[in-house]
Amino acid sequence: MMNGIQQTVTHSLDMNEQTLRDYFSKTPDLIYCHLFIGEPKRRALLIYLNTLVDKNSINNNIINPLLFETKQIHTIADIQLPIGSKSYTTKWEHVFQRVFQGETALFLDGDDHVLLLDTQGWPQRAIAEPQIESSLKGSHQGFIETCEKNIALIRRYLPHQQLKIEETTVGRRGHTPVVLLYLEDIAHPEVLQELKDRIEQIDVDTIVNTGELMQHIEDNPFSPFPQFLLTERPDAAVSNLLQGRIVIVVDRSPSVMIGPMTFITFFQTVDDYSTRWMIASFLRLLRLLAFFMAIFLPSAYIAALSFHYEIIPLNLLLTVGESRERVPLPPLLEAVLMELAIEMLREAGLRLPAPIGQTVGIVGGVVIGQAAVEAGIVSNIMVVIVSLTAIASFIIPNPDMSESIRLLRFPMMIAASLFGLVGMVIGFMLIIGHLISLESLGTPAGSPFAPARLRDWKDTLLRFPLWMMRTRPLSARPTQLTRQKKFRK
Amino acid sequence: MKRYQFNEITTMQYIFLISGTQIGIGILSLPAQLADIANTDGWIAIVIGWIISIIASTIIIKTMKKHEQDTIFDLSRRYFGRIFGTFLHLAFVAYALLASITVVFTSIHITQVWVLPNTPNYLIMMLFMLPGFLITRNGVRVLGRYAEVVFYLTLWMPILIAVPLQKGTILHMLPMLKEGWAPIIQAVKTTVLSFLGFELAFVFYPFLKEKKHAVKAMVIANSISAFTFLLITITCFIFFSPDETPSLIWPTLSLLKTIEFSFIERFEVIFLSFYLFVMSTTGIPYIFTTVFGISQLIGKKDHTIVLLVAVCIFIFTSFLYNPSFSHIQTMGSWWERYGLWGAYFFPIGLFIYTSIARWFQGGKNK
Repeated sequence: MMNGIQQTVTHSLDMNEQTLRDYFSKTPDLIYCHLFIGEPKRRALLIYLNTLVDKNSINNNIINPLLFETKQIHTIADIQLPIGSKSYTTKWEHVFQRVFQGETALFLDGDDHVLLLDTQGWPQRAIAEPQIESSLKGSHQGFIETCEKNIALIRRYLPHQQLKIEETTVGRRGHTPVVLLYLEDIAHPEVLQELKDRIEQIDVDTIVNTGELMQHIEDNPFSPFPQFLLTERPDAAVSNLLQGRIVIVVDRSPSVMIGPMTFITFFQTVDDYSTRWMIASFLRLLRLLAFFMAIFLPSAYIAALSFHYEIIPLNLLLTVGESRERVPLPPLLEAVLMELAIEMLREAGLRLPAPIGQTVGIVGGVVIGQAAVEAGIVSNIMVVIVSLTAIASFIIPNPDMSESIRLLRFPMMIAASLFGLVGMVIGFMLIIGHLISLESLGTPAGSPFAPARLRDWKDTLLRFPLWMMRTRPLSARPTQLTRQKKFRK
Repeated sequence: MKRYQFNEITTMQYIFLISGTQIGIGILSLPAQLADIANTDGWIAIVIGWIISIIASTIIIKTMKKHEQDTIFDLSRRYFGRIFGTFLHLAFVAYALLASITVVFTSIHITQVWVLPNTPNYLIMMLFMLPGFLITRNGVRVLGRYAEVVFYLTLWMPILIAVPLQKGTILHMLPMLKEGWAPIIQAVKTTVLSFLGFELAFVFYPFLKEKKHAVKAMVIANSISAFTFLLITITCFIFFSPDETPSLIWPTLSLLKTIEFSFIERFEVIFLSFYLFVMSTTGIPYIFTTVFGISQLIGKKDHTIVLLVAVCIFIFTSFLYNPSFSHIQTMGSWWERYGLWGAYFFPIGLFIYTSIARWFQGGKNK
């Protein structure tokens, strides 16, 4: 197993220490703490990684009591310490693994058992408001980078014995803990098994973020559309758990992954359920309109200008012509130029620190809004179209989906400039054809539209009043359909 | 044993698949053809055609019910032996091929005439083959879903017809039966051919999940098509004068040409571009049937390679051959002639034959 090192701990403390020093060479943050404990005094060795432990806990709960221990100690099991979680092992492999996870190992001379004590305490930030997915009415607690805290955030919503938590690790070097959460009586066992199988098959050094895990296990890597939902909101995660989906928490990553998802679920937000149903439905429709606008608006403009100017009424055509009078570029180039500029502005604003980011916005606004038009590089109408498109793409609540949509816009523009409306329609057909054959963990992503599940339409284009949503959506294949019998008791 | 377990379609998908195949290019010229033969009484022919097609599709279902997991390709081998069965298999493939060629080339022709006059036909063909390939590749399940989505996406189109309907003169419809029943009976043949598409039940029936609704589904599918045909035809008759309708080549599109809004003109360009969706639900099932039939014949489970070859041949053909309108009409009439045999007479014969064959086999077993 370990090259040249024995597999089990020996009775001799010196030999054990030698093994440790061999294994942890050039590891200055590993602390060796020699102690004499008990009555009569016996030699003991405490080791921990200075960088991953809670030092207060080690001083107060381990070293202090050990130094004042006056009992006779025969085996390591006699040592009583005021610490919650402890375990014994004889295997070196366990010792190394646990020490790397921030636990403290206690060796006693003459005993081949090691006491492992839970002293984890690494740098972590406080629970803060989610940055990307802000919500007006939802909770202001977002996930952080520590797995246990994230599970705690979810557990707070669902103190129920059916919430099952399963842990595995991914990666040969990182040993990243990956935790599956699901409601056992709702989640479909086949979907769960499929997910577990896929996670087990991952064979990489380590995964740094949830997004990496997502790409390792998604159904169709050649799709522009996301097949899992990444969220940093505990309430969103719980809402999906209750619909029968499975939540995957990756340690060290502040976003959790949820699957199986359908296309329409990327247009839903937590706020939808806490606002009045009419308003929520209006917003849903707005988002769907935004989806079409963000993909098709520039291409429709290009198609109309370069192929079908006869569909534009004469008055409007004159205005368009007037505004394009000085523009030397063909519509496609004009549109691509502007769209690229907008995308660059967005990316620049995102990567720069907030104070400079604002400057980018202002500069971009001035350049694109006025200077470019006055210089005759682009037309007024194109500025309007591009701005509308940009705003439409920002309405989509899920950043992954919004990015996919922004990407799809470009092939659409090219198709429109080559074939006009026909090209657009063919592009639309391709998108539909792709979406209906796309799957997320083996469940169709086009649901509930294709395959049609009329019962699920209550929560798609419109959000029906809550008392009408008595069943869980079928798209997640829940085994227990009824969400509520009656709205009021 | 279920052979197509992972490729099942729901009853709804089945309905839309069949009616999607029926409503396609025929509807664009149907009013003119009907008016030509039966004047404004042509709509009665649609009703009669509807009843006939329901009868024919019920017979198809009755035949298929005997072997619920078999397509027509399996049945032909089972009942007609190796040689004659293969011949039948090939005949059905040839029929589907003819249908798909007709649909594809007609779509290209219409697109060229109405929307893209300057684009060469091979470019349009390449464009059409992209979604064609994507959707056909994934089998019946995706085909069903596609038909479903397209149905929802095109629901607004019939509503649009209401605009010219308002401006029409209902008096054009009167008097009814002005020339007696004879021309109506003659027109039935034209309408019967518009209903072509239900014969694909021969292929899609084994994929249907709930087989007990099959007859009902066929009736609904035929009714959806009949309703659409009636709506368009009557609107055309009311809007144009009885003498004008037969003179138009594509009366349905001429109808749309008159729709005008303050913000958009030449609405038929937009309509026709979007109508490609409807045409695709006609063409793609036929292409699938062709490809599926050929891959069954050569014993391949996966039809992707055959599909790829077929798509290449289609594109290659379009380089060399750009059919004129009269060629397309000839193709259409061949399809109609073939379809009359394939969809109406053949099922009846097959039904009788299989019944007798089973009766004999049953007798032997006893």
